[in-house]
Amino acid sequence: MALRFEVLGRFNRARAAHLTLPHFVCETPLFMPVGTQGTIKGLTTNQLEEIGCQIILGNTYHLALRPTSELIDELGGLHKFMNWPRAMLTDSGGFQMVSLLHLADITEKGVTFQSPVDGKPMLLTPEESIQIQNRIGADIIMALDDVVRTIITGPRIEEAMYRTLRWIDRCIAAHKRPHEQNLFGIVQGGLDPVLRDICVRGLVDRNLPGYAIGGLAGGEDKDSFWRVVAQCTAALPEDKPRYVMGVGYPLDIVVCSALGADMYDCVYPTRTARFGTALVPEGLLKLKNRAMSDDTRPIDPACACMVCKNYTRAYIHSLVTKDAMGSQLLSYHNLYYMMQLSRNLHSSIVQGRFPEFVCNFLQKMFPKGDIPEWVCNAMEVAGIDISSCCAPFPSAQD
Amino acid sequence: MSSSNSIHSSAMKFAVKAWSNGRARAGVLHLDCCPTPIDTPSLLLSTRKGLPLFISPDLLPSLPSPDSHLLHVSPLHFLEGLSMTTISKIGGLHQMLGLHEYGFAAVPRDSIQCLPEANSTNKVGASFETPCGRLLIKPAEYMEMISSLRPELWATLADEVPAWVSDKRNKTSVDRTIKWLDECIALSPTGGAVFGAIVGGSSLEERQRCAQEVARRNVSGHCSFVDMR
Repeated sequence: MALRFEVLGRFNRARAAHLTLPHFVCETPLFMPVGTQGTIKGLTTNQLEEIGCQIILGNTYHLALRPTSELIDELGGLHKFMNWPRAMLTDSGGFQMVSLLHLADITEKGVTFQSPVDGKPMLLTPEESIQIQNRIGADIIMALDDVVRTIITGPRIEEAMYRTLRWIDRCIAAHKRPHEQNLFGIVQGGLDPVLRDICVRGLVDRNLPGYAIGGLAGGEDKDSFWRVVAQCTAALPEDKPRYVMGVGYPLDIVVCSALGADMYDCVYPTRTARFGTALVPEGLLKLKNRAMSDDTRPIDPACACMVCKNYTRAYIHSLVTKDAMGSQLLSYHNLYYMMQLSRNLHSSIVQGRFPEFVCNFLQKMFPKGDIPEWVCNAMEVAGIDISSCCAPFPSAQD
Repeated sequence: MSSSNSIHSSAMKFAVKAWSNGRARAGVLHLDCCPTPIDTPSLLLSTRKGLPLFISPDLLPSLPSPDSHLLHVSPLHFLEGLSMTTISKIGGLHQMLGLHEYGFAAVPRDSIQCLPEANSTNKVGASFETPCGRLLIKPAEYMEMISSLRPELWATLADEVPAWVSDKRNKTSVDRTIKWLDECIALSPTGGAVFGAIVGGSSLEERQRCAQEVARRNVSGHCSFVDMR
């Protein structure tokens, strides 16, 4: 174990904590930007530090292809290679292989696929994934799991869940740096509570430093999504970090935090920036929209980032999708927004005003009170009263 | 850019500090907006819609100062997506770009995307090939852009031609450039330093003629257009 997890404050299931990792002491709940190929697209590591980024994610699949984990190791590890002094997490490579490569095939040995470089058949085993991640050197490494999208039903989900448990033992055995890198297990099981429960118990038995909830954020309906998160956070140990992979939208992060999750990652903020969309308290602002061309307000008047302090919507509008600087400025704002959201989640829980923060957040996003039902249901389970932000039911308007 | 020994305008002061044995000279440029004077010869950083292409504005101070404080701006960039009314409403280049300690030199063409199209230029205006198509820019339109953008220095509109045009076409380019020089000066806003454009291709005679005409007008500096192809 190379981490310490200390809860500083709670509200029902939600918790704010200090997560001490080899490279950085992080405050949770937190969002991790994705730095696919050793870089967050559009930002320098200086800028990431400035906006308060604590952990970033590297993609094992991409880095193993280019420039290879051996080279990264030779050059002192990914921290040194990309000049990032704070914490880092690498995923196992499994998800990319399944999502990016049409001819991937999963067997008991591992994931077989065609190398995109030369077409040769290749095999990523749990052992190989861990070895690659050992070379890259991140603070947190992820076990290779058998990922199945939640939109799939049938025996495949059960097969994947049991295989994930068999593979975690192989990952643990292959892990050569347990005192410097924390191996997280990933809970699978689709949308089936029975399977999820078996998986949680199996992983908890292995006494890992932290746990991730995987297999979500892949197009399943929101009602199923929150229920799986709620079930897993209730069953996972209190004193270890919980990471919901691939989440995501600010609303989803607030809900999952209310249910007791601590860490999140997603390409969404930076990817949507490249399409000209800014994250704002009201939801989304599409800078490409014609109406933006003479709007001299900042993207978000309440935002303290460099972009909102200096630029008008009109100017950003003239840049987006046409000039790289547009993507850079929007990425900067969107990540700042996510970092601010993380800070707000942490401090509101520590300062005992989490329900007020949640209500305020929902009021801004749903000013008419039309909060989606799944959010209302999740908040009920989380024990947070959001009735003040919900519009009254039609029957009550007599 | 070249100038006489010492020049003053409301935004810019220039003085020559030293001469080589030949004709090279070292000078110093004072701009009201820049905290430190800038040594010349000086390189302008190229920009796209006012911001450097290669570095975001918050990281700009990491470049050597004050050497990196002069930015070249092409007014034509803003024709795509931003009206001059909006730019005026925002308050001009400094306000729009959040770069208050940087000096802007406006020249219509840039070196990559907004290039003069000599075949389409006519007596009414200069033609440019741009990312939003071919545009004909008349002096009055150009001066409207300069008035909205409010750069520290700006070059007058020129009829730039490549080196291989006929003598007749080359002479016409000088005639037009001088005519547009006067039209631009007549419409010049207060506060910016005017740089008279000098064309003439590779004809020494025409270059001299153009330069002499420009020198007769009350300009702060000269902007020579040289065909590098």
